[in-house]
Amino acid sequence: MSRRAVVTGLGFITSIGNDRPTVTAALRELRSGIERVEYLNNPTLPIKVAGTVKGFVVESASWRDWKYPSQYDFPREALRSLSPHGLYALCATEQALADAGLGRDDLTDGNTGLYCASAGSVFMIHHQINQLHLSRGERGNPMGVVSSIAGTLNFNLAARYGIRGAVSGFVAACASSSHALGCALDDIRLGRQTRMMVVGAEDLNAESVLGFAAMRALSTNPDPALASRPFDEDRNGFIVSGGATCLILEEAETARQRGAKVYAELAGWGQASDGYNVAISHPEGIGLSDAMRRCLADANLTPKDIDYISAHATSTLAGDRSEAIALRSTFTNVGARPLVSSTKGLTGHPLSMAGVMEAAFCAVALREGFVPGNVNLVTPDPACDGLDLPRASVDSKPNVVLNNTSGFGGSNVCHILRRWESV
Amino acid sequence: MEQPRPPLTTSAAPMSARTLLEHFPEPVQQAFSRFQAARAPEDADNVVVAVVIDHMPRTHRGDPTLPDANRLIEDLGFDSIAITEMVFFLEDLFHVRITNEEILRVRTVGDLRAFIREKLAPGSISPSA
Repeated sequence: MSRRAVVTGLGFITSIGNDRPTVTAALRELRSGIERVEYLNNPTLPIKVAGTVKGFVVESASWRDWKYPSQYDFPREALRSLSPHGLYALCATEQALADAGLGRDDLTDGNTGLYCASAGSVFMIHHQINQLHLSRGERGNPMGVVSSIAGTLNFNLAARYGIRGAVSGFVAACASSSHALGCALDDIRLGRQTRMMVVGAEDLNAESVLGFAAMRALSTNPDPALASRPFDEDRNGFIVSGGATCLILEEAETARQRGAKVYAELAGWGQASDGYNVAISHPEGIGLSDAMRRCLADANLTPKDIDYISAHATSTLAGDRSEAIALRSTFTNVGARPLVSSTKGLTGHPLSMAGVMEAAFCAVALREGFVPGNVNLVTPDPACDGLDLPRASVDSKPNVVLNNTSGFGGSNVCHILRRWESV
Repeated sequence: MEQPRPPLTTSAAPMSARTLLEHFPEPVQQAFSRFQAARAPEDADNVVVAVVIDHMPRTHRGDPTLPDANRLIEDLGFDSIAITEMVFFLEDLFHVRITNEEILRVRTVGDLRAFIREKLAPGSISPSA
């Protein structure tokens, strides 16, 4: 591919920080964002912790009641059509654009596109439908649909920033924002766009969390310091998180010409599906193995070129084991021994947002020269034998990193990011 | 002419007047309380103007006194969804019914004030449950 793509801007509203410096410090020093919570005023629920979003008050379905960090100032015409995760996304996008040195006027000529990922807001849908039922269909929020359904992020952000290039949303559960990022890379490589904004976001509330408890997918460990423990023998489920991440991807020559700061190159991506189960990973991780191989091929690299893998591992019994087996078959079995960690021990699992958030973490790690450790990992699952799982963060300078993501239905998406020395 | 429908019952209305106005300045809340007690049209006028200001896009905020001649869409930047939001708000606040045909005839702040006055005039008030 002659056209290359680089990451030039990052914005974060996450459980481990609401700006890049705080997120970077948390990743390096392994500061957790997981806290005690209680949903629906019910202390008997077994779900006791979550990767909380700090600095926001969004418990109401009315934007008039919301509070958000004072450095942001949004008018009613921006707020009225948002869900809680839409508000997070607006904040993250403002950060990323400022970080990239871009203003609204840089985004409106049709050469900038916007790909988003969220599950929509079940919370807002619930309130909207409840109001419809109470009024027997005679009353609804005029913004009820656009603030709640999957696609709410792209509706709102495209309008706010005047985006006239490619705009779409991706819905593949926890792999969604990784699809968004991969397709954004393709659009830049193919010359369709010179710049892509990629945004992943999720609410964090009873409506976004408790459905997963019904699947028995969540940890019932009440200790915030131990509940999310990817790859550990004692893991018993994942911890839900929310927030937003915005990543600005630009064609490398365009970025060079405007003197943009570059975090890393997005060098390739690949995807493959398990074709196995609606909600459970394939026990041998065949889809993820294929996705990693396709990603390596797309980036024209081999397993031994990878220095660090940001694992998807969410702390579930089946998922982590499946990924460990896929990693062993793809790397260990050919003599490659990259560092492997899952940052979900720190953040919890932010669902649709996971892929772009962790790709952004990889970009930070490449630029800052470190590898986040595996917090809470005490006794690795025997399925991890042969994998290099550092407990503490490592002050190395990775050159090439692989980011894994998997979602319901067996979707698996991988990205490779590479150190960018100069543009 | 379309027959006016009854207002939403209190239990079906999404929010009480107190809740609807809780983010409004104190003088607006007082004006509404006075209107409820004495039903003076000028108190309703003041509330209506505050509701217009509350639903107006920030990018078009101009004269804070909101002269009657200001057009909702052309001068104040309302879009049709913001007008719908405002209509629902006024319906729930004053317990009136406003049809699409009626609101399409309202173009200016003055039109809206006069229209709400008419809706609230004795004999026009829909009984609230």
